Amino acid sequence: MKTCVVRRGLPRIDAVPKVCGEALYTVDLKLPGMLIGKILRSPHPHARIRSIDTSAAKALDGVLAVVTHEDMPDTIFSFMQFLADKHILAREKVRYVGDEVAAVAAVDADTAEKAISLVKVDYELLPPVLSIEDAMEPGAPLVHEDKESNLGFEIERLFGDPDKAFAEADYVVEGTYVTHDLAHTCLEVSNCVAKWDKKARLTVWTNTQAPHTQRQELARLLDIPRRDVRVISSYMGGGFGSKLVTDMKAPIASVLSRLTGRPVRIVNTRSEEFTTAKTRYPYTMRVKTAANKDGRIVARDLLVTGDNGAYHDKGPATINFSAMMFGTLYNVPNIRAVGRLVYTNRQMGTAFRGFGNPQMAFATESQLDELAEKMGMDPLELRMRNANQPMQTTHCGAEVDGCAMTECMEVAAERIDWEKKRNDKGRTVRRGVGLANMVHTGGGGRFYGYNSAEAFIKLSDEGTATLITSALDMGQGAHTAMAQIAAEELGLKLSDVIVLSNDTDLTPYDLGSWGSRATFMNGNAVFDAARDAREALVVAAAEMLEVEPEEILVEESKIWVKGSDEMHDIGEIVDHSVNEHGWTISGTGRFVDKLPEGYTIKSAFAKNIPCFSFGTQAVEVEVDEETGQVHVLKVVAAHETGTTINQLMAEGQIEGSVVQGIGFALMERLIHDEGRIVNDRFLDYKIPNIGDIPEIEAVCVESEGTKGPLGAKGIGEPGLVPTAPAIANAVYDAIGVRFHELPITREDVVRALKEKRG
Amino acid sequence: MRRELHITVNGDEYHLLVDTQRTLLDVIRDEIGLTGTKNGCGQGECGACTVLLDGEPVNSCLVLALEADGHEIVTIEGLADGGVLHPVQQAFVDAGAIQCGFCTPGMVLSAKALLDRNPDPSREEILDGLKGNLCRCTGYVKIIDAVEAAQCLLEEESS
Repeated sequence: MKTCVVRRGLPRIDAVPKVCGEALYTVDLKLPGMLIGKILRSPHPHARIRSIDTSAAKALDGVLAVVTHEDMPDTIFSFMQFLADKHILAREKVRYVGDEVAAVAAVDADTAEKAISLVKVDYELLPPVLSIEDAMEPGAPLVHEDKESNLGFEIERLFGDPDKAFAEADYVVEGTYVTHDLAHTCLEVSNCVAKWDKKARLTVWTNTQAPHTQRQELARLLDIPRRDVRVISSYMGGGFGSKLVTDMKAPIASVLSRLTGRPVRIVNTRSEEFTTAKTRYPYTMRVKTAANKDGRIVARDLLVTGDNGAYHDKGPATINFSAMMFGTLYNVPNIRAVGRLVYTNRQMGTAFRGFGNPQMAFATESQLDELAEKMGMDPLELRMRNANQPMQTTHCGAEVDGCAMTECMEVAAERIDWEKKRNDKGRTVRRGVGLANMVHTGGGGRFYGYNSAEAFIKLSDEGTATLITSALDMGQGAHTAMAQIAAEELGLKLSDVIVLSNDTDLTPYDLGSWGSRATFMNGNAVFDAARDAREALVVAAAEMLEVEPEEILVEESKIWVKGSDEMHDIGEIVDHSVNEHGWTISGTGRFVDKLPEGYTIKSAFAKNIPCFSFGTQAVEVEVDEETGQVHVLKVVAAHETGTTINQLMAEGQIEGSVVQGIGFALMERLIHDEGRIVNDRFLDYKIPNIGDIPEIEAVCVESEGTKGPLGAKGIGEPGLVPTAPAIANAVYDAIGVRFHELPITREDVVRALKEKRG
Repeated sequence: MRRELHITVNGDEYHLLVDTQRTLLDVIRDEIGLTGTKNGCGQGECGACTVLLDGEPVNSCLVLALEADGHEIVTIEGLADGGVLHPVQQAFVDAGAIQCGFCTPGMVLSAKALLDRNPDPSREEILDGLKGNLCRCTGYVKIIDAVEAAQCLLEEESS
């Protein structure tokens, strides 16, 4: 495919404002008369609220409002209303350490802080349930007393006849795998400014990945018409899933603004970010896999139990998605997937890059190596024999179009030097190599019952194009990708495209940036809008140059007649069209992801995914037997991109994901003590720094056959999915110890080696 | 209690009356209004608030504003020369070392200080010089590329 703007590693369109400190983030916004809000949070994991006394706080100079549940609308919330279980401010009970209890608005942060300390809450302590096991004990205290048990959600999906297949198979392996809760640690903490104006319209500026769904959620939370809510995002300091569902700061700031008549800002402290901004769902997974002597996997069985935390957020969707990826990674004829979510008195989970898939991949791809060993087969060979192929519908209904699974494995194995390193029995240091595969959505999902996007483009008489897109850029580069797609189709240079976004009054309705969705969905809409605008441009050029439209060529901001040397600027054509005839040139675009025949949300399972993306990571590690330190030496991350829109940015997504994956596998974990998170700062919750990273080779593997714009797939999440199991498999190759629980810490390694030696 | 503070920020002199407990970060962002300096943790652990104090990188959230009295500060806004980016900034743009951009100002200033101190750092020295600046997006690969490229740009400039 010949391209001018895409498939190149062009600098991002927002790189200069960011590198000069000009880019304004929500947290940089200042409004006249703005007050500072602060939230009083529960110090107890589980307690009944007997009374709240706000009189001293209200009496403090500089305090303009103090609110409790009595001041809040009588609504109960979750991102899906049928899951609703949370009030804006706690009513009768608090359910985790950090639950919102009261809030203040004051003239400055010091006064707000002081006011919070003057609010007196009388608690009656209740016994908490702090683990899945405790919560599922018969007679366990209920997190939500209106529910029969702490089991918050359950699904079961069955394909084929797994029981029969397990009974007849040549090899069966079974094991339990455990993952932990992690913090997203976006460098910009969650924050908002709310302003309820004199026309009774609410504007909320916040760092959100999904302005339109947050607008709907805020209207629902505050019990006001959606038309009265406007949500504006801006440059965002990271998302990774943490900023999809409305955080209670936004409705609290909104009510405080209504009461005071002034804009109110609430910003998390870093400690609040660690303890209340939600986590990756911890999973306990019992997995069973069967294969025959020919190397074909014939059955898989999954029981995943997720720790929901105190309230419903993205848990049910996460469990569902995990099960879909469990069913799709390899085309296995007999599958059972059971998922359960259990309420506990802990911080709630939410979406986190990979959406349950990194947890699942740790279990299934670790187990595949265990199976290969039992079979006496090279784990790469086992994976090759079961690889998904292009244009295939799997047994669980996944419609795979373009698929580079085999190519990804080949590239990863070659670049890690698999054959040589895997069979190097003479090695003296404790080194090992391992690999793991992944499948993920490359285009969001149909979970809302639809999946669509729109975009608008207008051309100026200077030859620039203004693109209005709902693609939300949380740092991943969506605006640049959209601008590249528009420029490519319009025949413009990247620098000629201006992107407008982030404001629900401006942009078309959209589901937001999640599920590696923006490139595929918004990109298709942008492509359609650009095509529409290009057609109008060509008609105008043909009129001006007095030729037929078919004779017009457009490239790199120039227009000319086929066979002629006379070049015209696009601006010249638009200027002529606008100023001679009053014909403005613009384009509208829409992409509606067509639902498969007979689609229903409930039955769809893997048919919910419009586009699959495959990948393989191969890892080399060295294990220090004395200290237990696992040094990751090299990661080859080969991921399918369909068409790579921007080489630099795609590599950047993969590299960033891999390093988050290393954190997941080896370093990061929230530590709980009696329901309280004790490592609520970067010093104690260590994310990888620049000295912790291995050599990373990010490889974008292009493939054909996808329905994405110019053939592209999303690449935002995949790179995090297979890293942990690839590391665990490499550790096994190095020291012969199989870890079933993450993170693999130094203590774990030392202990395991001791046990192994006996 | 409030005291007089006289500081130079990006070449401009400021004479302010500030609370003794205010940090340099507070004053730069809230009083002077330069929001390019970011607050990532407020505890000196992420490096997002890095500025140059007399040429040395400091976490401005850990410096009391009055400790900077009489000193010269450079923030990210002061690095470009008019419309021309500093070579470190240019290298960050070209190498794809920026994603969300929230760590970028601190990262760029730490890199500049490193290269001022040591124009020819080894890879180890680059890693050491930037260990105090956390980034959650990039995986650091392209940040290292950028610093190495900046090193070359600066060498070309000085030769």
